[in-house]
Amino acid sequence: MPHTSTAPVKMEKVDKKTVWNNVLESIKVSVSPAIFSTWFSQTHLAGLKKGDKRYVAEIGCSSSFVKATIESRYFGLVQDSLKSELDSPCDLVFSVKDVPQKKGGDKETPSPLFDQEGKKDEEVARALARSQIRPSFTFDNFAVSSSNQMAWAAAEAVSKNPGSAYNPLFVWGGVGVGKTHIMNAVGYSLIKSGYTDKVLFCTGEVFTNDIVEGIRNKTTQDFRNKYRKLKALMVDDIQFIAGKDAVQEEFFHTFNAIVGAGGQVILTSDRPPQEISRLEERLRSRFEAGLIVDIAPPDFELRCAIIQIKAKERGIEIPTDIVQLIAGNVGSARRIEGFLIRLASEATVRKSEITEEMVQSVLGRGFETNGQGKRAEPKEVLTAVSKHYSVGKRELLGNSRARVVALPRQVLMYLLRTELNLPLQEVGKLVGDRDHTTVMHAVEKISRLTSKDPQIRQDILGIKSSL
Amino acid sequence: MKLQVLQEDFSKALTAASRFTSTRAQLPVLGNLLLKTSKNKLTISSTNLETSVSIGIGAKVEKEGEVTVPAKTIADFVNNLSPGNINLLSEKEKVQVKAEGTTSTIAGMNSSDFPSIPSSVAKDSFDLPTEDFTDALSKVLFATSVDETRPILTGVLFVFKKGEVSLVATDGFRLSQKKLKSKSITKSGVAILPKTALSEVTRTAKSETLKLSLQGKDNQAVFGVDNVVLATRVINGEFPDFEKIIPKSEDIRLRADKEEFLQAVKLSSVFAREAANIIKLTLEKGSLVVKAESSSAGSGESKLEVKIEKGEKKDLEVAFNYRFLEDLLGAIEGDEVVMSFSGPSAPGVFTDPEDADFLHLIMPVKVQG
Repeated sequence: MPHTSTAPVKMEKVDKKTVWNNVLESIKVSVSPAIFSTWFSQTHLAGLKKGDKRYVAEIGCSSSFVKATIESRYFGLVQDSLKSELDSPCDLVFSVKDVPQKKGGDKETPSPLFDQEGKKDEEVARALARSQIRPSFTFDNFAVSSSNQMAWAAAEAVSKNPGSAYNPLFVWGGVGVGKTHIMNAVGYSLIKSGYTDKVLFCTGEVFTNDIVEGIRNKTTQDFRNKYRKLKALMVDDIQFIAGKDAVQEEFFHTFNAIVGAGGQVILTSDRPPQEISRLEERLRSRFEAGLIVDIAPPDFELRCAIIQIKAKERGIEIPTDIVQLIAGNVGSARRIEGFLIRLASEATVRKSEITEEMVQSVLGRGFETNGQGKRAEPKEVLTAVSKHYSVGKRELLGNSRARVVALPRQVLMYLLRTELNLPLQEVGKLVGDRDHTTVMHAVEKISRLTSKDPQIRQDILGIKSSL
Repeated sequence: MKLQVLQEDFSKALTAASRFTSTRAQLPVLGNLLLKTSKNKLTISSTNLETSVSIGIGAKVEKEGEVTVPAKTIADFVNNLSPGNINLLSEKEKVQVKAEGTTSTIAGMNSSDFPSIPSSVAKDSFDLPTEDFTDALSKVLFATSVDETRPILTGVLFVFKKGEVSLVATDGFRLSQKKLKSKSITKSGVAILPKTALSEVTRTAKSETLKLSLQGKDNQAVFGVDNVVLATRVINGEFPDFEKIIPKSEDIRLRADKEEFLQAVKLSSVFAREAANIIKLTLEKGSLVVKAESSSAGSGESKLEVKIEKGEKKDLEVAFNYRFLEDLLGAIEGDEVVMSFSGPSAPGVFTDPEDADFLHLIMPVKVQG
């Protein structure tokens, strides 16, 4: 039965209180009412312990004056009453302690000075939710290097002077370079600095859907109210509206309304405006009127910084040399995130710290793919490597152990293993019928080299892009 | 007990000690003063069980002893005597007071019923410069709360750090902080002391330095100034995290003449009294406008020149309870006051440009429309 286990604890509590109440009742009889109310009414039994045959009672007094008086003048009286109440001899300890107050009451008195923090945070959180901005994407956790410095500086300027610095700000770049992050960061800092409402983040697709919805339900007016009165509009993946005439027209008017009222527009796309096909000329010219910045894929140093930021967010500690090892082998920011998750779960499963060996083994396993996108054939990789290093295919698969051949061969094995996700034995078989341990060694060696040697990083990048 | 004292000393000590007796005490002895001799001193003590005081005065002691007497009776009697020697003689529980041409016998009580109170400061005390300390208290005491349901806010928080103590008081609407340097502070710690005791300290403190010792075990703080030892209970509980609410940034910073600002506040207060004490501050072309209006009494508006040190282009509209502004301006000693604001719902920060150790926050009032 569940209540049996809790019962004794409860009994104890009741005990202390009733014991002291009974003691006080008996003291009341022996002293005058004035003495009782002055000295005893504010006391309580702070602790009661049973030692060898004797109880030790701690009596809490409201002030040191009370303590001193009871201790010196009424010690015997209290001891006797306690003894007869507990039926056992008793030692007394006195301390100055307030009667444990019942909670509550505190809340009733207003103190706006101390409530404001929470309120402000709440307001910001509400605004963030309304504007659909992800609070985890901020400038604080955005790492900057030469590849994205321009975009970062522009975004910072926009967040400080919305509507006037660069309008519109057009950010373009490949997958996972941080376009959405930087746009969210602008929105976040705008909301933080007081633009609590009238900031909206959406994707080109959501924008399209909203229009379609409006047309279908004859509520285009609602749509206009939602978008045209904004102080800042951020549209992710604007290229989605290309080729959709009605959507483009609506976006054109929305854009004019916002910019005309001094609002800020930020757009992202996977390519520059002039390359977005089937984009209306008037929209293209408007996009080109603002600042167009591109973000290149993160370089090695930036990847290191990203790894450190992400690891800190997840509370994982990774030594610098391992950070470099990962940065040398994992390409995009999303992959880094995924890799860290796997690394962290590996560490918890194995209950050990993150070591180079563990990173190697996770790296060696390659990345899971969902089968999307056409993978390169092993033959193509072979061709690419042989072309890149100008080494004949036959030599590459042959037995020569000369350095000019051995290193490209190891790169080949590394790529086959990590990029194509082939099993070790298969890789061995493909590369001149080698043992799987040879392949393991090659993968390990190259992944270590990538963290130290910029040349090999470039080689691998070049080969990958030619695939 | 038999001794001689000077009326001047005795009368002062009796008046000071009387303030610490509890007037509505159920126990009669708490309405009494304890007179006790030791060597060449007469110590006069009293307590209301929250604070206690014991004052020593010089005396010519012929026979040692101790007795308690009703505070009001003996104080009133001795105050009206003319300066000069007074003979005190106690026999059992009666005290005979004899001065030139006058004799009285006052009925006292046995001293054994009187609670024991600290009569000296412990050795681990800090030295504080009295003048600075009372000055610091005067700058924070007014911000304490009068609301007894939150006892913690009725006290002043002392935060001791090496070489420094900072005094903080708040009532939940405003907060006052003043820092004080003292080389003798070597330990860090915190204590919340009741404001009643502290204002008594400012009243009694006259010499150059005062001693303060904290007795954590007894939950007691003991002040020592000259021949006076004042002990008070320490308020239990946790002071709100005040560091957190001190704004880290500011949108607008203004510098104004204190007297002019105070006058503007006082002028507006005439109308603000009828309108929940609210006055509004706005910026108009480089001058600060102090405005108040009430539906029944009318409205008032005063302009004063201010120096805008930051945020020239920004708008300001913030409303305060004028009493808080009045209290604050009364506490600032310099000629100018610097205030910074960051929005209508963030606390206003007020500082004295001549006193870097002083900081005051006031929470604005929310006004609709």
